[in-house]
Amino acid sequence: MSSVGTLSDDVAERELRIIARSREIFDRTHALVMRRTDRLFGWLMLAQWVFAIVLALTVSPRAWTGSASSVHLHVYTAVGLGGLVSLLPWVMMKVRLGQFETRIVIGCAQMLWSALLVHLTGGRIETHFHVFGSLAILAFYRDLRVLFGATVVVAAEHFLRGLYWPESVYGITNPERWRFLEHAGWVVFIDVFLVIQCVQAVGDMRAAARRQAEVELLSESEREKGAALDHALVVLKESQEASIRNERLAAVGQLAASVGHELRNPLTAVRNACAYIGKKIDSAGGNGHGLASDERVQRFRVIIDRELEASAKIISDLLDFARARQPERQPCPVRALVAEAIEVVPKHAHVQIANEVPEQLPVPNLDKDQFRQVFLNLIQNASEAIDRQRGGRVLVQAEADAGAFRFRVVDDGPGIAKDVVEKIFQPLFSTKTKGTGLGLAIVHGTIERHGGRVQVTTEPGQGSVFTIELPRRPSLAPSHDGGPTLARLTG
Amino acid sequence: MRVLLVDDEESLRVTLAGNLELEGHEVLEASDGHQALEVLRNEKVDLVLSDIRMPGLGGVELLQHLRRSHPDLPVLLMTAYTADDQLDTAVMAGVFAVLKKPFDPEAAIRLMARAARGPVVLVVDDDRSVSTSLAEALCAVGLRAEAVFSGAEALESVESGRVDVCVTDVVMPEMDGPTLVDKLRAKWPNLAVIMFSGYDPRELLERSSGSGVTACLKKPVHPRELLRSVARARGGAW
Repeated sequence: MSSVGTLSDDVAERELRIIARSREIFDRTHALVMRRTDRLFGWLMLAQWVFAIVLALTVSPRAWTGSASSVHLHVYTAVGLGGLVSLLPWVMMKVRLGQFETRIVIGCAQMLWSALLVHLTGGRIETHFHVFGSLAILAFYRDLRVLFGATVVVAAEHFLRGLYWPESVYGITNPERWRFLEHAGWVVFIDVFLVIQCVQAVGDMRAAARRQAEVELLSESEREKGAALDHALVVLKESQEASIRNERLAAVGQLAASVGHELRNPLTAVRNACAYIGKKIDSAGGNGHGLASDERVQRFRVIIDRELEASAKIISDLLDFARARQPERQPCPVRALVAEAIEVVPKHAHVQIANEVPEQLPVPNLDKDQFRQVFLNLIQNASEAIDRQRGGRVLVQAEADAGAFRFRVVDDGPGIAKDVVEKIFQPLFSTKTKGTGLGLAIVHGTIERHGGRVQVTTEPGQGSVFTIELPRRPSLAPSHDGGPTLARLTG
Repeated sequence: MRVLLVDDEESLRVTLAGNLELEGHEVLEASDGHQALEVLRNEKVDLVLSDIRMPGLGGVELLQHLRRSHPDLPVLLMTAYTADDQLDTAVMAGVFAVLKKPFDPEAAIRLMARAARGPVVLVVDDDRSVSTSLAEALCAVGLRAEAVFSGAEALESVESGRVDVCVTDVVMPEMDGPTLVDKLRAKWPNLAVIMFSGYDPRELLERSSGSGVTACLKKPVHPRELLRSVARARGGAW
């Protein structure tokens, strides 16, 4: 039942949104019509004024054949009254465009213009058509109040002028009493149809506004759907990449597990044998047929030790990567841990490594051994990136807020190229001639299994920053996330 | 010292034996667990170092046998495999430490010498029942352990030179865990320290430098966790 309730709620909400939006659209359109019509009348006022003056100068004297008037008076009337009737609506059009009072004033003024023109043409019956024309144009406003106001004005003006100055209205001095009613009747006649027209036009505008609102809402939901689809595609792509990565991890893991284990025993034996031989040479001294004094023998011993160390490191990287064990979290002070990692990193004279982790940093829960490896890999990478000639610094920083710890390994080396950054956490990807390409993949896997994230920002020539973000209350990362475990691979 | 070396890999066995003999130690060899037990029937040794995965009787089974027949004999295991399922069993059977191949022979011999001396795990807690029961749990699997009940006693006990791992409670009257750790580390930098606490130990850890603390455990401390932490503190993580 609740789903039905939700559904009808949805429909109601949709309807409310459409109503609100269509009202907005209607109001906007109507206001546009008002302003347009205001402007039309504003200029019509001025045109009528000019027309009236011309009329006064040319037509009126001939229309007024009687002796009661003269040319000058009509010209003054046209200029004075016409100016009065034109200027107020023109000014209002300028300063109060689209306002209700403006169109009421315009409606009344237009009717007064009809009266003035009728007067100037000596009550010619043809000039009365101006009234009907004006009413029709006022209907452009689609506002019944304007029509009403104009009708009242023209009727009142006609009635009063007919009463006191009939010649100005009807062209004759003693018209029949019903002629006013006849005029008024025609005005009402046209008004009826103009009212019908206005009401219909407003109805059409409302319907159009609603249609537009509906279309807008529809396209908006289409857009939302489109965005959701885009998002789904991104998620899909990410998960595809993750699954490719995991497959790759599994393959590497199997290889690493078998090769690593097979190599460990012989490597141990070689190490033992070399240690034995080394000690024998040392203790034999002069009796060792010159072995101890042979420069090459001594150098080769150093090389053997170094290369054995490197091989052991590669194998343990491979196995670290392959076993991908779940972190065993313990409270672990990070400053001391970073100090341990820095201790193990091979030192170079041209690289300064600084542990800037604050003493009073809150203690996070993390797998100490795994995180030592993380810091070790990052610091070692950073110090190897630094140019031998130029020298540089590697800083390890940390901060904590309510939600997360952030650890940064910062170097001022040459930075990382864009195409490299994209693949930098992929297993087996390496730019070094010597290396398994597993260091950062191990970092990535470890951080992920801790429920955190690692990312790199880099600027060519400025250096790189690796940032680890570790939530303070981590959700348990699913175990299938971090690649194969050794137990699974080796049974 | 007299060492029994057990591995099916002959090359590893003989080379390591060579190094031990060079240092003046005596080495007996066996290629699997059965052979090792055979040797031990007639010979007395100070220490057994055995590989875990061997045909026949493996290293962990050998350890379990030895717990019954030679309860005080220190046993070290070595493995080429990380995250071995059998390591948990080995820990519960009281393995002294686990060496990860390929190990440095010098470090391995140093560790063996240490194991042969029979070093003591010192458990410090003002709550006598806790410290005593933890020490007993360690002794039950053939390790040496002693319980003391205050920081001052702990410092005195370490003075004897027999202690190589100190397990201490964080919250104690007079001298608390972090203070004790800092004092111990200042004088014996190689001493491994394991802390445990009924509260979240982080707050107190924030007060000490945290250096040298190899593990933090939460009360009630499970013997398996403690044994594992001790073995790791001695031989390194696996």
